[in-house]
Amino acid sequence: MMELMRHEDHRLITGSGKFTADWNLAGQLHASVVRSVHAHARVLSVNTDAAEKAKGVVAVLTAADVTAARYGQIPSGPEIQGVDGCVISKGSMPLLAIDRVRFVGQAVAMVIADSASAAHDAAELVDVVYEVLPAVSSVEQATADNAVQLHPTIPGNVSLTFENGDREAVDKAFASASRTSTLSIQSQRLYGAPMEPKAILATHDASRNVTVVYTPTQGMLGMRASLAAITGLTTTDLEVVAEDVGGSFGLRGGPGVEHGLLVLATRRLGRPVKWVSSRSELFAAEWHGRALKLTGSLALDADDRISAIRFDDHADLGAYNCYFGGFIATNNLSVTMGGAYDVPALYMRSTLAVTNTSPVSAYRGAGRPDIAFAIERLIDHAASEHGLDPVAFRRANFIRADQFPYTTANGTEYDCGDFNAVFDKALDAAVYNEFPERRAKSEARGRLRGIGIGYYVEKSGAGGAPKDEVSCQFDSDGGLLLHAVSGPSGQGHETAYAQIVGDGLGIPAAQIRYRAGAPDQRLVGNGTGGSRSLYGTGSAFKNLVDVVIAKAAPLAARHLNVEPGDVAFSNGRFIGRNGAKGVDLIELAKKHYIDSQTAHPLDSSAETVTGANYPNGCHIAEVELDLETGEIDVPVYTAVDDLGNVISAELVRGQVHGGVVQGAGQAFGEAVIYDDSGQLLSGSFMDYAMPRAGALDKVVSDTHAVPTALNELGSKGVGESGCSGSLPALSNAVMDVLRSAGVPPMDMPYSSHRVWQHVRKEKR
Amino acid sequence: MSKVSFTVNGQKVSVDIEERALLADVLRDNLQLTGTHIGCDTSQCGCCTVRLNGSAVKSCTMLAVQADEAEITTIEGLADNERLHPVQLAFSACHGLQCGFCTPGMIMATVELLERFPDPTDEQIREGLSGNLCRCTGYVNIEASVRAAATAMRVASPAAGVVEGGRGRR
Repeated sequence: MMELMRHEDHRLITGSGKFTADWNLAGQLHASVVRSVHAHARVLSVNTDAAEKAKGVVAVLTAADVTAARYGQIPSGPEIQGVDGCVISKGSMPLLAIDRVRFVGQAVAMVIADSASAAHDAAELVDVVYEVLPAVSSVEQATADNAVQLHPTIPGNVSLTFENGDREAVDKAFASASRTSTLSIQSQRLYGAPMEPKAILATHDASRNVTVVYTPTQGMLGMRASLAAITGLTTTDLEVVAEDVGGSFGLRGGPGVEHGLLVLATRRLGRPVKWVSSRSELFAAEWHGRALKLTGSLALDADDRISAIRFDDHADLGAYNCYFGGFIATNNLSVTMGGAYDVPALYMRSTLAVTNTSPVSAYRGAGRPDIAFAIERLIDHAASEHGLDPVAFRRANFIRADQFPYTTANGTEYDCGDFNAVFDKALDAAVYNEFPERRAKSEARGRLRGIGIGYYVEKSGAGGAPKDEVSCQFDSDGGLLLHAVSGPSGQGHETAYAQIVGDGLGIPAAQIRYRAGAPDQRLVGNGTGGSRSLYGTGSAFKNLVDVVIAKAAPLAARHLNVEPGDVAFSNGRFIGRNGAKGVDLIELAKKHYIDSQTAHPLDSSAETVTGANYPNGCHIAEVELDLETGEIDVPVYTAVDDLGNVISAELVRGQVHGGVVQGAGQAFGEAVIYDDSGQLLSGSFMDYAMPRAGALDKVVSDTHAVPTALNELGSKGVGESGCSGSLPALSNAVMDVLRSAGVPPMDMPYSSHRVWQHVRKEKR
Repeated sequence: MSKVSFTVNGQKVSVDIEERALLADVLRDNLQLTGTHIGCDTSQCGCCTVRLNGSAVKSCTMLAVQADEAEITTIEGLADNERLHPVQLAFSACHGLQCGFCTPGMIMATVELLERFPDPTDEQIREGLSGNLCRCTGYVNIEASVRAAATAMRVASPAAGVVEGGRGRR
């Protein structure tokens, strides 16, 4: 008999989940956004007369309304330091374009009407007069001499030149190197595409003077704080509600322009206002991801030990500095730039430029998959150039288990790991040594076969909040309602947290529920991001177990009629010292329940402070290439990850599968493409090739736990590691098969069309 | 405005709608059947898949007036009261869903797929789900869910199409 696996599942498989677009409030109005059709233009006028007179229209908002309301702009991210003490120069995105539009899809006006169709119809009537300006749609164009300037605050369109590491030491190592290798890789611009389109329902509760915003979020504190910063309201003036969230992947951490506009609209109009995006407008105007070009070089000494690695990065920020954008090509690329290797000298330089494209912010890994991809491609490229075996070359340069804790040449402290053990397990699981036989079999069927290794190390999220707080409330049947900030969007928080608390207290997990971001709890904590929800919030729940047991012990002693020091807790049960009598914690909880208005004596709170840790793993991909069509299949993919202690093997496997296939999406199909004039060519799922069923033929996933001491659970992050492993493993496999076809490396995506063209061009 | 009548999940309903209204919007907005999701505007994602006269269709891609007099089953009508359909049960048991947004469409597409191919090959599964996008699972466990459901449905009476299922943990 099949059983339901997760707490979340029943409502989601029966269609009774509650995603944002599923909410409706009495008297609600509907919004539609008027967006720029030009990549770069002066806005000469916005005439709203016809739209305002249209049937059903209640209001049309323009930049003048935003200015009058004294609302601010989208948060532009941290003040990152660059070379020679300079600080990042920024162009902030207004809620509605003021005098200039800087990318196709930028919001210019918002129409609010009594139905969605009336709002969409009237949006067509808003007459925007533009004076088109030249546009730049790539870093190369943006940084060329005489390029058009996007922002007066960003001279030369370069927002920041950043460096990290020791340039002199690296130069010295290269000067004395016996051999070197250099490789440029593109991590093309992507759109994260959570399946739930962005949606907002805002309503102002005048009796409490609180504006409630229903919207997909990764954690309501981050969403609320940024919305307060945009609107000038205090955080207590705002509540954020999210029940079910249809994926996030970094895109749903902070408010977009539409959130600010809906708060403005509902407070002004006194009625709820709803906006549900179309997928097409999200392709143009939701945050994009990746958009990086990394050029890496490595120096080898006479023993083929890596003596230095150098990176020169170009990052496309899009048209404005938004949220996480500046963080990607600075902190996130540099922090693990040595990968899994013991490299004595490291140096990175990054150029962050603005272009006439949708702003770039976090997408699954936010720079971590990109640097893992660049290092592991560089390792394989060097091995191939210098005739080294990619397995032995990696092994000879790995940081050894006895070197932990290991501080990298640029100052990152990896606390623990055993790369050789993980490597061995992966090579075994992939039956690596029998690859030549499989290659021969493929060739007998007319297919070329390649194999590729990716060994990633990534730094999971340190978190922006000072700590992760949790709390619990007991109910009448001994069950529990758990609270924290971390908002789920598919990870299975309700299941994992219930398992931690249920196992600790001996309460059936089925009686434990989880709610993220309840406004009355006033908890501090991190949203879901940086793969940290399990080890951060989950560790706080582990601590909560101890708090509840400590509170329950005196009640148990009284119940058992023994001295408080004479009870011991194990497997959900308090037992007196003599062991003659005992009582289950759940029975005590039931006995002390009064009513829903009265606090239960076992209601508790707990917290933890935990920063980043270092998940790592070895992924091995095999690919088959049909030279006639350029089609590449992935017959088998193996992932062995060190994620520290695993709480739920099923949830972990699910995260690995999902991450690996998002990496496969980038490897084989996905690409946001602008033409030279800044027009978006990949504006829908028709031309943005998402992975579909069968993307990978077979995935083998296993773990090798080296528990971290940096959090109570001993767990490491998992959410983003799949991408970090699969980009290099798949790419190295593709390069291997191309090599066997006698053609040089190429950039992603390895779509059949592009591979076929590449092979034809190179074979000619 | 036009009046449209159809049978949804066994109930006859009549609604007054704009002629341009899409079936997906009418199900969601007029009938409050919000389990049918809308994930794109180009018929690519399949989140809005429902059964219409026995066929899986993308309800965002037909006008509601085209569904006049049709028999429609949405995700809300799949379980037999408290008894989950084996496809629903299999998706949970095999961890074939994460955020759950694509899941109603995936399940409705799978139900039709298994009617056509009670013992599907991998190829038939992939072909049958090629019109449905999922961003979370990587499809590995979705394919496992389809196979598990197929096995369960072959073991149970194929005519009944429904096996006893748990109500869930809460």
